[in-house]
Amino acid sequence: MHAALKDIRVTFGPLIAVDSVSISIGAGEVHAVVGENGAGKSTLMNVLFGLIRPDAGSIEIDGKQRNWTSAQDAIRAGLGMVHQHFMLQEQMTVLENIVLCGEPVNRFGFVDFKGARKKLAEGFKEHGITIDLDATVSDLAVGQRQVVEILKMLYRDARLLILDEPTAVLTPQEKDRLFGILRSFARSGRSIIIITHKLDEVVEIADRVSVMRGGKLISTGPLKDTSKDRIAREIIGGDLPPPIKPLARAPGETVLSVKGLVVKSRDTSVGPLSFDVRAGEIVGIAGVSGNGQAELIQALAGLRSITSGEIALSGNRIDRLDVAARRRAGQSYIPEDRQRVGLALGATVAENANAGRDDVSGFVRGPFLNRPAMARYARAIIDRYRIKVGSASALASTMSGGNKQKLVVGRELTRETPLVIAENPTWGVDIGAIELIHAELVRMRDAGHAVLLVSTELDEILRLSDRILVMYSGSLSDEIAAADADRNRIGALMTSRADAALRNVA
Amino acid sequence: MTVRSESLFSGDLLPWIYTLAWILAILFGLMLLVNAPFGDALSGFMAGAFGGRRWAYLMATLSRATLIIGMALSVMISFRAGLFNIGGEGQLVAGGLVSALVAILLPGPPLLVLAVAILAGMAAGALWALLAGVLYIYVGVPLLVGSLLLNFPIRYIASYLVAHPFRDVQSGMVQSHLVPEGTWLAYFPGVRLDVGILFIVATSIFAIVYSHTTLHGYRARLNGLSADFARAVGLPVTRLTLQTLATSGAIAGLVGAIAVFGIHHRYIDGMLVQPLYAWTGIITVLLVGMIPWLVPFSGFFFAAIQTGAAGMERSAGVPKDIALVMQAVIILFVASRVSGAILSSQNKAKGGDDGA
Repeated sequence: MHAALKDIRVTFGPLIAVDSVSISIGAGEVHAVVGENGAGKSTLMNVLFGLIRPDAGSIEIDGKQRNWTSAQDAIRAGLGMVHQHFMLQEQMTVLENIVLCGEPVNRFGFVDFKGARKKLAEGFKEHGITIDLDATVSDLAVGQRQVVEILKMLYRDARLLILDEPTAVLTPQEKDRLFGILRSFARSGRSIIIITHKLDEVVEIADRVSVMRGGKLISTGPLKDTSKDRIAREIIGGDLPPPIKPLARAPGETVLSVKGLVVKSRDTSVGPLSFDVRAGEIVGIAGVSGNGQAELIQALAGLRSITSGEIALSGNRIDRLDVAARRRAGQSYIPEDRQRVGLALGATVAENANAGRDDVSGFVRGPFLNRPAMARYARAIIDRYRIKVGSASALASTMSGGNKQKLVVGRELTRETPLVIAENPTWGVDIGAIELIHAELVRMRDAGHAVLLVSTELDEILRLSDRILVMYSGSLSDEIAAADADRNRIGALMTSRADAALRNVA
Repeated sequence: MTVRSESLFSGDLLPWIYTLAWILAILFGLMLLVNAPFGDALSGFMAGAFGGRRWAYLMATLSRATLIIGMALSVMISFRAGLFNIGGEGQLVAGGLVSALVAILLPGPPLLVLAVAILAGMAAGALWALLAGVLYIYVGVPLLVGSLLLNFPIRYIASYLVAHPFRDVQSGMVQSHLVPEGTWLAYFPGVRLDVGILFIVATSIFAIVYSHTTLHGYRARLNGLSADFARAVGLPVTRLTLQTLATSGAIAGLVGAIAVFGIHHRYIDGMLVQPLYAWTGIITVLLVGMIPWLVPFSGFFFAAIQTGAAGMERSAGVPKDIALVMQAVIILFVASRVSGAILSSQNKAKGGDDGA
């Protein structure tokens, strides 16, 4: 399928989200759209997929001008979109999810699952996909869920696939499998648009690259005419900051000490876990999401009660304290989910910035809020962390993802606590924000704070950590010093028990 | 900082105009259906809501609005904190019952008795709300369920108490004895409207100031916007929940006491339940998207619909059920708007900058 967007313009109130952008996607082509969060690439794709109506401009599919009234029109015309957050019914099987809303019906009005299986089996063979159609989605790993999303497209015979950040939650191995499928799709004449932040992946899979910044199209053309460096410069509109240098100083005293920690949730048990984080070091916990990291973090933050074990902060037991007491004892927490946990989106930037401040007297007079003081405090964070927002009294929901995350990071790091817990601190944010957040975490380390970094992003772990632990199925591997860290070994540890993984590598 | 456009009124006005057009069209259709004299019905409605000799009907509307707005403020305080306390009815009954019994049983100078009775009514409402809060926090009963179910026991306790131990047998009705005449709330000079409305004016001011300018109101609202966020930044969520529920219940209790001392001068079985004050209060708050300063206007609007409908029936012979059907239609529209707002707030793909 050949698709073209011509002079598309989208505005939200005074904000121009997409400014006269024209892109064309050829048949059998993998087209990467890259840019910072808020650059307008998701908006542009939503226009193509019929989720947003443009203020100006036109959409052409195979040379014919089309006008979507809803995403249903686009789907009927052969477009498919895999969103960053999967849209699957957890309690249904893979097959049920795939046929949902496009159920084949036999002449008695029953769903013809047999026919669907047959149709899918052909696709499986052609593209080398393996998955158990009768598994319940809630039992699947993230990578497999992604495959289900892609199968939905395949089942409807979509000719143009749009994938929004498809590799954000995948292991290196899962990513390779996904790219294999996508290449096979492209060979069969389908067009693929992939929205991503990861330049390595762009270089690996794309045929053409379009770079967006600030709602404008900066460049578009074949991959072979550009370079990774050039794309990166185009994305951020300047030169890349220098790589982060590891600290050549021995870490100090133990700040966080975890001993024999066991956390039980409804159907999983995590632990026993034991590890230390010392002042002036970043300890990274790598792993595919869903292997117990969330339980560990919640137990440390005080959001989940523990079954057994000890947590000590600067030598004092904190495992029976509530969240506020733990924060006062000296820890900050950058949560992964900025939409629900990190921020209250319906409140203003100032209200968010002041939440969780230890010393209330800084922004109250008697029982009343001192709004000017709150705004000043927020303004300081906005300036210090270069957050792009209209004013401190704008709603937090009006910021782009990267700016939201900078606000969360700014609020937590401004507290200057001995321990910082960061959970996927750069998940789904743009390169500029990643650089700033990484630099701030390293600055905290260099200033003698202890940083616990839990991330599903292996590159992030490798780039920042002084020591690395890998979490798999509720337990931790032995520690790996940053100097000996090896992608393949860690990748293997992320997907299997330590002993088995080591054998595989050796 | 001033009041920000928060949810429902922040967007364009167009959907509201559509809604209003729909409501008028449905109203017109209903009138045609019952073959009503249109002009008479309208003038009967207006006179019934705002007219009367010496403004008697306007005073009736204000009196009803007092109770509805009071209940709406109680609901607003808890809803804004994300606490879906729909047990306003039980807290209202608890407040009315306890304040009436205290006034009947407690000897002493009338004004002192009145003050003690009102405080006791507020305490009773607060305790009844706290009961739902304790069940929620320590037993795990969802607040929506717990607060709703607690409406029933207190209703039956009240029925029993005024039907048996405290019944005014001579009157032949299921009601308590009159409270001492000295404790009755005075009327404003020249009209039949008691000073109870002043309590609600004060409560409205309190609720608006509380919601926008106090630390407690700010924290409660953060909890309402995202409970996970409030927990993660270490807000004292348990304390906040219990305090907010107690405040909400105390306001409901106050409304019960105002109904006793201002209107009925005794506790009559069903007097607080049958007019659906608590439920109208919930609609009142949802109609204006929980924006504090709009709540009194919205409450007055609903009170006027109800008293106006009665006037329409009296003077034009149009069944008042038509107005009640209209109220139900408005509720349906509000419900769709509210769920629409909730849905769109979950779709965080919202652009633009409507702050500043």
